[in-house]
Amino acid sequence: MKIALASVLLTIATTAPLAAQSVSDFPNKPMTYIIPFSPGGESDISSRFQQSEWEDVTGEQVIIQYQPGAGGAQAWSQLNSLPGDGYSIMQIIMPHTVLQPLTGSAGYETKDLTPVNYFHYTPDAIFVRKESQFTTLKQLVDYAEANPGLITFAGSGSNSSNNLAAIRFDEQAGVTTTYVPFSGSGPSITAVLGGSTMAGFNYATSGVSQGDALRMLAVASAERLPAFPDVPTFKELGYDIVGGAYRGVAVPAATPEDLRQRISDIVSEINRQPDFIEKMEDAGFVLIDIGYDKVPEFVAARIEEYTAGAKALGLVK
Amino acid sequence: MDIFGYLLDALTPLNLILALAGVALGTVIGALPGLSATMAVAVLVPFTFTMNPAAGLIALGAIYTGAIYGGAFAAILVNTPGTPSSIATTFDGFPMAKRGDGGLAVSIATIASVVGGIVGAVALLLLAPPLAKVALTFGPTEYFWLAVFGLTLIAALSVGNTIKGLIGACIGLFLSLIGVAVVGGDIRYTLGMQRFLGGIDLTSAIIGFYCMPVILDLVATAEPHLKPSAQGGLRLREGFALTTKRKFLLLRSSVIGTVIGILPGAGGSIAGLVSYSEARRSSNEPKTFGKGNPDGIIATEAANNATVGGGFVPTLVLGIPGTPPDAIILGALLVQGIKIGPTLFTTDAPVVYTFIWGLLIATLLMLPVGLLIGRYAYASIVKVPKAVLAPTVALLTIIGSFAIHSNVEDAQLMVGLGILAWFLSRYGFQPSPIVLGLVLGSIAEQGFVQTWLIGNASGRLPEMFFGRPISIGIVVAALITLVFPIWADWKAKRRKQLEAVPASDDTDASIDPAIKIRDIAAVAFAAGFLVLGLGIWMGASEMSMLGSVFPRTIAVALGIFSLLLIVQNIQRPVGLAGPADRIVLALDMGGNRRLLLGAVMLLWVFLVPMIGFLVTSIAAFITITAIANYDRPPLSTWVVWIAAGAAICTGFWWLMANILLLRMPDGLLF
Repeated sequence: MKIALASVLLTIATTAPLAAQSVSDFPNKPMTYIIPFSPGGESDISSRFQQSEWEDVTGEQVIIQYQPGAGGAQAWSQLNSLPGDGYSIMQIIMPHTVLQPLTGSAGYETKDLTPVNYFHYTPDAIFVRKESQFTTLKQLVDYAEANPGLITFAGSGSNSSNNLAAIRFDEQAGVTTTYVPFSGSGPSITAVLGGSTMAGFNYATSGVSQGDALRMLAVASAERLPAFPDVPTFKELGYDIVGGAYRGVAVPAATPEDLRQRISDIVSEINRQPDFIEKMEDAGFVLIDIGYDKVPEFVAARIEEYTAGAKALGLVK
Repeated sequence: MDIFGYLLDALTPLNLILALAGVALGTVIGALPGLSATMAVAVLVPFTFTMNPAAGLIALGAIYTGAIYGGAFAAILVNTPGTPSSIATTFDGFPMAKRGDGGLAVSIATIASVVGGIVGAVALLLLAPPLAKVALTFGPTEYFWLAVFGLTLIAALSVGNTIKGLIGACIGLFLSLIGVAVVGGDIRYTLGMQRFLGGIDLTSAIIGFYCMPVILDLVATAEPHLKPSAQGGLRLREGFALTTKRKFLLLRSSVIGTVIGILPGAGGSIAGLVSYSEARRSSNEPKTFGKGNPDGIIATEAANNATVGGGFVPTLVLGIPGTPPDAIILGALLVQGIKIGPTLFTTDAPVVYTFIWGLLIATLLMLPVGLLIGRYAYASIVKVPKAVLAPTVALLTIIGSFAIHSNVEDAQLMVGLGILAWFLSRYGFQPSPIVLGLVLGSIAEQGFVQTWLIGNASGRLPEMFFGRPISIGIVVAALITLVFPIWADWKAKRRKQLEAVPASDDTDASIDPAIKIRDIAAVAFAAGFLVLGLGIWMGASEMSMLGSVFPRTIAVALGIFSLLLIVQNIQRPVGLAGPADRIVLALDMGGNRRLLLGAVMLLWVFLVPMIGFLVTSIAAFITITAIANYDRPPLSTWVVWIAAGAAICTGFWWLMANILLLRMPDGLLF
């Protein structure tokens, strides 16, 4: 017991001044960046883009670790058990971190998580394959009106941004479609390309690698994407659907305020690197700059939107 | 042709060194259960950012293919698949090693892996764009049937014991349900515990199911772990002779591996299982499979290394990663500014073709590198005294299950499942059907529910399941695999009965008990499983419709098979006692040592988060050394053993904390 107490005191004695000093020269060793998903998806790719700029911006490397499980909940529920020294950070994604606690016991509450910066989002988009009969969204809507339920959308997972967007699309267009959840963007794009489903509700990023094998009918961004100048937004077509998966960086709750600010600044600075901007936009990501001071307001607005949406759409029991 | 020009680019000294180092590193990482290709590739990606793209890719690809191959070592020598891809290698590899043919098994695995790897890489080199279309012809229905096909292997694995095999499969399928459902989003069977939210981790389950029983049996007797080989060495000449005789099997297994590798999400474990199943079906002597038939190793290892080349096809052509390591490599390519997709093979031809040639060279280098590492691995597993081998293997299981997510809970699960698996296998419920259920469960479920949703939407449900040409092909293959072993077994029994010759060649009681008497324990287990089935059914009542279809099906199946087992045993005559080896807790020395080891392993994984990894591990290592020791060695030997234990533990601890950069548990000490 004495040893335990002594070691606790020793830990406090040694770490407290360190934490206070470290902001000026933070980081002075490699940081660990946990991705709560398997590699290959949008989370992985956006973090790899960040990783390639990290050393130039901070002088230290960042190490990416994957901790997939339970649609991200596995990692997020453990976020606050990580040390709050600033060297452990985690990617955080809405609507996941809002919907998961709403729809069941995810092992964490949205308010337990500490995002310090949201740096991009991947807008939802409707895809069909090259051979599809649909060339415009209107054709698809007309077909869905004539054949309720017959249009099948492949999407990434249940209770995801894709799922929410598909339900919202049904509501806005006054049609009934069938949403088929797949285990990630890769399998769901495969289903669209192979014609297993008639269309897909995926992220705009999925369209970049496929060239002309896929056709994007509409995208849920506020403005047209630089990578797809010919694809109309839902807004232009008269549907109020803007959104997607918003990705940010979160820290354990124990992280002191000044380090939170510093990490947020690092993320924002990477967001301003020309190479990073070019790679991200070419890949279909939409950059945003929600720094630490703007995060609470941004999250509160999203929570309101998703909660209302999820309730109206029956995702919340 | 142009593509041969790129061969010269791949042959630069730097690329050759990277390929060699990558293969060697990959083989070692693959051989250690739990340390996966994904982990190695993920850690090394940042180093490739500053390299020339082709060189970086060659290094990553070499590690990947080396790791898939290296998994065979652990499978053959300690009955534990080093990666999930080599699950089926354990079926015949370990029996071969046990009877003294371990060296030969390693040789065969090496040759088969190299051939499989070459076939996959050549397919990637010459046929990638057309082959990518294969990935697209596989819809949810085909994935469902492919998983069902994999499950039919259970019939072959549990001949004479089919009902227990099927019950095992149901348990595995049930385990695959635990956690958040991909389809439907329900949280299923977590008992409200946070640790189960992410599901049962496949790798830790495999380590527990296969490796824990081996360690428990290791300490129970004084006999050596593997029978020393009479000839010694790897018997390479014999291995070459054996594999050249099996040219067709090699080629077919490699093609199966390549095709399954192309399917995103299927992966090396399914390729190995399907190929194994095909090899067994088409063999003249299917009965020897699972008892040390080299064909089983050839089929699995050729197929799983062929998935490496196959997996790159959708990754490079469609931007859809075939496997997790492919996914990381895809990310590395994007960071290098290379645009993945159909045009990649023309716009970035130099990078892509140089990489593919590099992958081929790395695969060829696997032969010398693998044989060299294999020689040392085999020799040391045979020579190391049990008192050091047992704790080392135990340490590796704990490291392996911990390292996947830097999570001690996975290690706790591994030990728990391992002890459970040992009990179940004592009563005839073998681990392989359970693992098969766990591997294939989520693929089967997602495929089934997606097919159901799509079929329902269009009102063509029967056509969706049974009307697609590829599906029909898979269903037919599955039916043959399912029925053939049962039929062959029945025919053989008939012949035996007619000849009235006592069964003398079957010494393995768990596969074919000689006298069928009423098995009270099996009835008790069946009753337990019946209750479990009921629990699964009731637990499904609060789920969404999508989330509850599969659990209900499994609950019903489990109930039916359990009832069948009870009825079957009630009909049998009452015996005086079960077979002697089933008296589990007989308190002889062996049983005591097992109990002690189980307790130490449990204490180990529960004390790690409290005390710290290194201190707990060294203490456990020394305790297990004492448990596994049957001699009275002099004090000096003890000192050497303890020093070796401390060195091994510290070495691995340092490797995890500083090279793999895992988050080590914050204990009181360290």
